[in-house]
Formats: sequence, structure tokens, C-alpha cells
Amino acid sequence: MTRRIATYVVLGILAIVVQKFFDDFASISSISPELVILFVVFVTLREGQMVGMEAGFVTGFLNDILSTHFLGFTSFIAVVASFVAGFFYKEADVDLTGRTLNYVWICAIALFVSEFVSIPIVSAGELNYWYVFLKFTVGETVYTALLAMVVVFVNGRKSRYV
Amino acid sequence: MFRWLSEFLPFARNYIVFTLLVALSLFLISLNNNRQVRNLQVVGTLTTSYLESGVQDVVGYFQLASVNRELEKANARLINMLARTRRAINENRQLKEMLNLKQQSSVPLIAAGVVGRVTDGGKNFVTINVGTKDGIQEGEPVMSGSGLVGTIYLAGEDFSIVRTLMDNSSRISARVVNDSTDGIVTAGEQGALELKDVSRRHHVRPGNIVETSTLSSISPPGIIIGTVTSASNRPGSIFKEVTLEPAVDFSSLSDVFVMKYRPSGKAAALESRALREKR
Repeated sequence: MTRRIATYVVLGILAIVVQKFFDDFASISSISPELVILFVVFVTLREGQMVGMEAGFVTGFLNDILSTHFLGFTSFIAVVASFVAGFFYKEADVDLTGRTLNYVWICAIALFVSEFVSIPIVSAGELNYWYVFLKFTVGETVYTALLAMVVVFVNGRKSRYV
Repeated sequence: MFRWLSEFLPFARNYIVFTLLVALSLFLISLNNNRQVRNLQVVGTLTTSYLESGVQDVVGYFQLASVNRELEKANARLINMLARTRRAINENRQLKEMLNLKQQSSVPLIAAGVVGRVTDGGKNFVTINVGTKDGIQEGEPVMSGSGLVGTIYLAGEDFSIVRTLMDNSSRISARVVNDSTDGIVTAGEQGALELKDVSRRHHVRPGNIVETSTLSSISPPGIIIGTVTSASNRPGSIFKEVTLEPAVDFSSLSDVFVMKYRPSGKAAALESRALREKR
């Protein structure tokens, strides 16, 4: 159990650090993949909705502190994403998390919903809703799903599930 | 009531936590204008900036090859620009000298551009873009802002060939300014000129200026030819060996003047008459 928690902590920190790297070097028109969400969905699918939401809040909070985002914004998205992902939690599939394409579409749905509900916060009365929806909601969802696919293929090669 | 709560709470536990965490997140968002929250983010951002700097160094290392290629291209462009600028500066200097010369000259001058060069087997010619149409005649002296270039060797309709001082067949009567020593300037070795027929008794020193002589039947007197670089007495010879550095840089010659100079015919006629009477 301790080992598992330590692994999640390391993965979470890694996700935050690499997220910074992606924001700086891999963003396309200020759209970058949400690694924190990939991590949170991963934890949710393995540990359940409750643990996922808690992990999402803490990871999002740390990510916001270490970046120039709105403090609480990534927490909000991560909590919503893990809440949505929690509905796909099945204890029997725990070992397959991150190794099948299920992970990709669950990530996409979770991120789409969380980005969608955050539109009013991002827009803040200044940006066009459709613009925010197409650019951030759809854009980040697609980009993150592509990265999730890479994770699945890299991870899945170790097993016979992909 | 308690029983209902004990049944409801496990069922709604996730929803309650979700609501609480979302509310907490929204509360944090609402605190973003708070100065302490900003300070917290500044500290966090500064902490990660060290990491980012390290990552940028690594990324920069892998980009070195492309950056190097870009720099090489930029360098080539700058070298090209520098060469053009140098050429323009040189041309500008020559034109200024020529303008100065034109204002001071008592002889009519015809401006010309150098369009070609021939250097082969001791021949040293330059082609200029004026010819007989412009009133050019063979034998007329040609000069630049720095000094004497040579004489018109062939005059075509639109172009003329100038035999420069560096040509092996070139002979110009000259004198050393400080000493009034006369001699003949011919082409020397390795881009130098030689002043010949200078008697050993004359004191010619390096640094002396050599110009066209009053005895010259080709060019008007007082046009600078070059500067003495060495003068020595050769054993067994009654003449000095004098080497000159030409005043004109023949390698970068771009603009010249043709001097509409004709030596006085009366003096030549008088000399002929004297010779005939003597006989």
C-alpha cells in the first residue's frame, strides 16, 4: 500500500513537472495536453472515485501553485474529471488501466466534461463561449487523448492487451 | 432521522466530497486577486523556473545544430553585406577624390567607369566606357583621384583601352618632388613601379613623392605617380635603383578621368627646328 502511494506521489509530481515542460515546449496555439488529468483519471480508474477526487484536488492545487494558472482552476478541472472518470471505475479492470484504449476515451470524456463546465470560468465574460469551447474544450481534449493513446501504446506493449 | 442519515451518507458520500472539493476549488479561484495567494504563486513559479531553466538548457543543446545552421546563413549574409559596404566605401572615397580633382584641375576631364581589366604576360590594360564618341583620343592621359593611371592605348567608338603604368611597355617621364630629379617610370616587380635613369648623385630617399615631369610629352606635370619605397646604388652602375609604390590601387580601380591634354605643339616645332638648323 505504501509503495503504491509512493508510486502515485512520484507519478503526480512527474505529471506536474512534465506539464510545465509541455506548456512551454509542446503547446500549439497555447493548447497543451493535460497530463495532470491523465494522471488523475489513471488514479481514479485504479483506486476509485473518492481517492481520485482527492488526488485530483491535491495535484491540481500543486500544479496551480507552480504555474501561473488561476489558483484552484486545475483543482476544479481535476476534481470534475475524476468524478466523471469514477463512473467508469471497475475493480476487475484495475490492472488493465492505462493499457487498453478504454483509458483513452475515458480520459477524453472526463476532460471534455470538466473543460466544458469550466467554460464560464475561463470566459469570465470577456471571451466568446464558442471560441473557448472549440479552442480549449475540444482542442485540449483531442490533444490530451492523443497523448493518452501514446501512453496506452507504450504501456500496452508490455502486455498482450493492445 | 439518524437511521435515514446513516443510510444516505454512504450512498451520497462521493457526491458530498465532490461538492465540497468543487466548492473549495471555486473558493480558491475567487481568492485569486488576494495578494497572499499571488505571492504564493510567485514563490511556486520562481521555484519551478530553476527547473525550466535546466530543461531549456537541455532543449537548447539539441537545437544547437539548427541554430548553428541559421547562424552560418546569417554570417554568409553579413559577409556579403560587408563586402558590398566595403566596395561602396571604396567607391565613395574614389568619387570624392575625383570630385575634388575635377574642381581643381585646369585641364578638361572626362569621367569614365572601368568596365574591364586585362593582365597577361606583362600587359596591363583596363577598359573604360568612353570612346571617340565622347571625344577620347589615343595617347591622352588617364588618372584617378589618387594619381596617374596610364594613357589611352586604343580608342574605340564607345570604349577605350588604357595602358596602365603597370604595363611593361609603359614609359612616363617623372620627377622626384623634393629633389627635382628626373627619370622614367616603368613597371616593376610585384605590383611596384621603378624610377629609372636617376643619377647616383641625386639624393632620393624612401618617402619621396614622384610625379609627372614637366618634360613629359604625355601628361601634364604635377600628377602624382607614387612614393619612393627604396633607393639604392648598384655597384658598377651610374644610375640608382629606385622602387615606387603606385599612388593608384589598380586592383580596385572603378572610376577614372581622361584628361583632354595635348602638349604644346609650338614647343615641339621649335625643338625640331633647332635640331634641323644644327645639322
